[in-house]
Amino acid sequence: MTQSLVDRHDVELAAQAAAGGRREFGELVRRHGLAVRALLRRMGAQPSTADDVAQDAFIQAFERCAEFRGEGTFAAWVKRIAARLYLKRVAKESRYVAELEDDSTAPTVEHGDRVDLDEALKSLSEAERLCVSLCHGAGMAHPEIAAALNLPLGTVKSHVKRGLDKLRARLAPAGTLGRTQHVG
Amino acid sequence: MSADEFDPEIERLFARTPHMPDAALFTAQVEKRLEQGSRVRFLALSLAGVVGGAVALREAVTVNLNLGDGSGVVAGAAVNRGVSAVSTQAQGLAQGALDAVGLSGLEVGSLGAMQLFWIAAAALVAVAAAGAMRLAQDV
Repeated sequence: MTQSLVDRHDVELAAQAAAGGRREFGELVRRHGLAVRALLRRMGAQPSTADDVAQDAFIQAFERCAEFRGEGTFAAWVKRIAARLYLKRVAKESRYVAELEDDSTAPTVEHGDRVDLDEALKSLSEAERLCVSLCHGAGMAHPEIAAALNLPLGTVKSHVKRGLDKLRARLAPAGTLGRTQHVG
Repeated sequence: MSADEFDPEIERLFARTPHMPDAALFTAQVEKRLEQGSRVRFLALSLAGVVGGAVALREAVTVNLNLGDGSGVVAGAAVNRGVSAVSTQAQGLAQGALDAVGLSGLEVGSLGAMQLFWIAAAALVAVAAAGAMRLAQDV
């Protein structure tokens, strides 16, 4: 009896997608679409832009599925593709170039009763938000981020550290860090 | 990531996926784009196949059959006549198709096999170059 799609492992589905299996790839999109879209929004993309880039990322992932060897997770692989596509789009618009040198536009941190990650990320400057999301959301190493953003490594490290400090300050008083529920 | 930056709670928060009501719509849109891409690729390959097949057919029907010794002359001439008739019919059909799409000025019969081959090759190179450019932009 044929195993249903939902029971199959990502690596197996990706291998079948690499052979042209669109149904199998559809299952992968169903599983990881939300995570990819969420990452792009956390990086600072507007919802419509995030969805466009996420779609492009999945289309590109389908075309390059044979390159996925299963060393990491499929979700991490697609997230990296999506993150790079988004950075490319942002770089074309030269949107974050000025922001990287001027953090004064970062919103001030206010402590509320309950703050989730997406709200907390809004208190970061665009550069900090990008660096933290790429590091913790897309799983990219600092040198990778520096290369992708065309920034010195030290600057990337500073952005990540400052961003994390702000996130902790924003999240900890509300108690969010201690009582989150792991969903996926 | 250095040790002081590793924060399991932050990692856990990033691992959480928020609920989005349009998740099914997103999946459907990706599947639709995959379907369209597959159709375009199928059409491009079919077109390349038809062009290649036409060139091969033309080569085959215009080949000068030479069956060698005298005993084969009569049979060879008959085959040649048949092949020529098929060739003429094929050219007529192709010309009719061109007329139908407004390319009546282009006479298929006047194009040599090598010309057709180079036209097809140029078209394929153009398609490959466009694909390579698209890939370079994406990667």
